[in-house]
Amino acid sequence: MTEDSTKRITFKVQRYDPEQDSAPHFQEFTVPASRGTTVLEGLIYIKENLDSSLAFRTSCRMGICGSCGMLINNYPHLACHTQIEEFHSDTLTVKSLPNLPIIKDLVPELNPLFENHKSVKPYILRYDEEEMKEPTAEFAQTPQELRSFLQFTYCVKCGICVAACPTAASDKLFLGPQALAQCYRYCADNRDEGEQERFPVADTDHGIWHCHLAGACSEACPKGLDPALAIQLLKRRLVSQAFGLRKKQQPAPLVSPPTETKPKVPFPEFTVKQS
Amino acid sequence: MRNTYLWFLQLVTGVLIAVLLGIHMVIMHLDAILGFFGVDVAEVTSWESMVGRAIQGVWAGLYMALLAVVLYHALKGLRGIILESTPSATTERVVTWVIIAFGIVAFIGGTYVPLRLLAG
Repeated sequence: MTEDSTKRITFKVQRYDPEQDSAPHFQEFTVPASRGTTVLEGLIYIKENLDSSLAFRTSCRMGICGSCGMLINNYPHLACHTQIEEFHSDTLTVKSLPNLPIIKDLVPELNPLFENHKSVKPYILRYDEEEMKEPTAEFAQTPQELRSFLQFTYCVKCGICVAACPTAASDKLFLGPQALAQCYRYCADNRDEGEQERFPVADTDHGIWHCHLAGACSEACPKGLDPALAIQLLKRRLVSQAFGLRKKQQPAPLVSPPTETKPKVPFPEFTVKQS
Repeated sequence: MRNTYLWFLQLVTGVLIAVLLGIHMVIMHLDAILGFFGVDVAEVTSWESMVGRAIQGVWAGLYMALLAVVLYHALKGLRGIILESTPSATTERVVTWVIIAFGIVAFIGGTYVPLRLLAG
């Protein structure tokens, strides 16, 4: 961060150490920021130069790992994916994601999210157990079949949809938009046969029918997913299943590996002559 | 799939409320429009008129059906709100049975007079 053409931004950062503090409180830091500086870079600046005890999660710094979800100016964002100048303000308030317990400072406890995610069995389930144990070939899937659920495969499990969800705020047992969207993602996969195992998980008092359809999850998702749409599509699958309106679809068949393959694209020649 | 059926029933009762309550509202409040179409519902809110409707099977059935669908729709919604703010397995059981009991008592109370009138 160069000092010229930089602004001084005040970071009001939530601090909380459960071993010492009875409740979260705020601490202010002044951070130099120029065009393109992200909130995560601001937090790293604080940790490296002002207070090394500040705790936050980060890994990839490019919106892929989903580690740095936090509440920035009262809206959940990925800190690495959010530039300071977006807020047009000299003050930024940074808090841990709501609707999730706080481990320390800006680090939310993501276990409830992962447990809900695990409960919907987010993997391909099939009855041909031998093939699942020792695969002999691939399952067929057309590009159209892939497109029917593709966007939901981009979930990075950052917890931002859960933090934005008003139902998750009031119902601590709510399955949440992340798990419900992943439930739909696998039910809609033509290679999968696990609907009957996932439906009982979604069809509870704190499951899919408790969604208020506020759409906050879709608005907040940093990856552009639409979990609210997945929830609606999953509702349609549940209702059509309950009333026998859907034809029984056979799971994707096995396809033999291709006998002929295209030759690999050769590596380009080195532009710098090697001695 | 129990919750799916219950949710679907709430959708259906929502539609039925719109229809049945619509009929009730038209009869009670749109007498001028009904008069335009040649239907005379003069003094529709008088005691005699009300009793006169209650002893007709169609009207008694319509109002008892309206009571049933309103109770289901409203109490299912109320149960959802209570369970959302106090989520626990014990609360869930208690709330469910209290709501069912209240619904049954309210339905019996609401249909007692029309049934007595129907019976003569």
